[in-house]
Amino acid sequence: MRNLLSLNIILFLCLTACNPVNKSQLSSSGETSFKVPVWSSPFLKAYNKALFRTSLNIADKHLTGISIIKRTSDSSFHFTFANEIGMTYFDMELYRNKFKPDYIFDPLDKKSFLKVLQRDFSVLFFSFSEGKPTRKYIQKGSGEAVYMYLGLNLYVWMDIRQNTLTGLAGWSNYFDAIIVKFREYENGFPGEIQIENPRIGMTLTFNVLGH
Amino acid sequence: MILLLGSISGQAQGKLLSPTDAQDVRKSISEAAKSVSSVEARFTQTKELSVISEKIISKGDFYFKKEKLLRWEYTDPFPYLIILNNDRIYVKDEDKENHISLQSNKVFREVNNILIGAVQGTLLSDTKNFQCSITDLGNQFQATMVPLSPRIKETLSEIILYFNKNDYTVDKLVMREVSGDYTKIEFSDRKVNQDISDAKFIIP
Repeated sequence: MRNLLSLNIILFLCLTACNPVNKSQLSSSGETSFKVPVWSSPFLKAYNKALFRTSLNIADKHLTGISIIKRTSDSSFHFTFANEIGMTYFDMELYRNKFKPDYIFDPLDKKSFLKVLQRDFSVLFFSFSEGKPTRKYIQKGSGEAVYMYLGLNLYVWMDIRQNTLTGLAGWSNYFDAIIVKFREYENGFPGEIQIENPRIGMTLTFNVLGH
Repeated sequence: MILLLGSISGQAQGKLLSPTDAQDVRKSISEAAKSVSSVEARFTQTKELSVISEKIISKGDFYFKKEKLLRWEYTDPFPYLIILNNDRIYVKDEDKENHISLQSNKVFREVNNILIGAVQGTLLSDTKNFQCSITDLGNQFQATMVPLSPRIKETLSEIILYFNKNDYTVDKLVMREVSGDYTKIEFSDRKVNQDISDAKFIIP
């Protein structure tokens, strides 16, 4: 009984403390039953490759440059990020649950950091509507619909009028909480993508330069 | 792949000079560089990504003034400015401005040394940090520089400079990374020893 109580407390703490979503900005939709949305990452649609102006901010490091994300198979993407003068920071193949580094700039080759990065890309590239959301909210200010998938530790933001995915938030533990924002859609693909890892103070931003 | 590597490094073409002939060419390049007080040019930078067979192309303007003043002004695909003024670096990225000390930034320091050394012709004489071989390509000399210093070897496996035989200035620079990718910088519309305002190199 005591173990069960401890487990419940841990579960409760994780749900409240790990969750990166600011719930004070969400209001209840008041709907007890709602249409289950169908959504997927923009990278899972008709995507081949794109060039991005990219910046990575973590702790006191500010890295900028150009990256290319290329779909290499149904289940993999290749990501290369280099600074403006051409020196490579990252060159890696990304799958849903793993990555294969081809090159990582030595000062960035840290196991914990790469684990977070791998999870970020997994959410960015491979997320799609699976399961049924348990609750629906409305984002204050923007009016976006927000769907909560309790079992998946996932929140999904959607612009219902445009039927576009505008945000994702997820977590599997306190440290890997992630918020992804998709902005400035053009021809079905976001012009800006921002990935935020609030617990470790990391932000990765992509601005499309061309497809 | 073999053809590609051959075309990059030029190993498959041209004539490798003997140590004596290579020394003469190094001397000529060094002598010619002494008379260069400034260089202004357009540049096209191509980063070749070996694993996925893709290219990233950037363009801009290049300014050099003796002794250690350099301005890299990227105009495409987006504006990005680097000013090297002796031991200080200024980077402007949209509205963000950064002042970087050369002593504290390893990559910038190495690239700065390579660029200044290439323009001034001193890189070929840097036997402490590079092993150099020279190939005669007909209208160009190709200098292949293999880093000896562990510091440079961490990032770059080879630097190849292409010198124009007419005036011994650098036509093209290739920096091959340890990852297998390489960045090629080609210069065009070059103006040598024309007056360039000092204002171009002022760090705000």
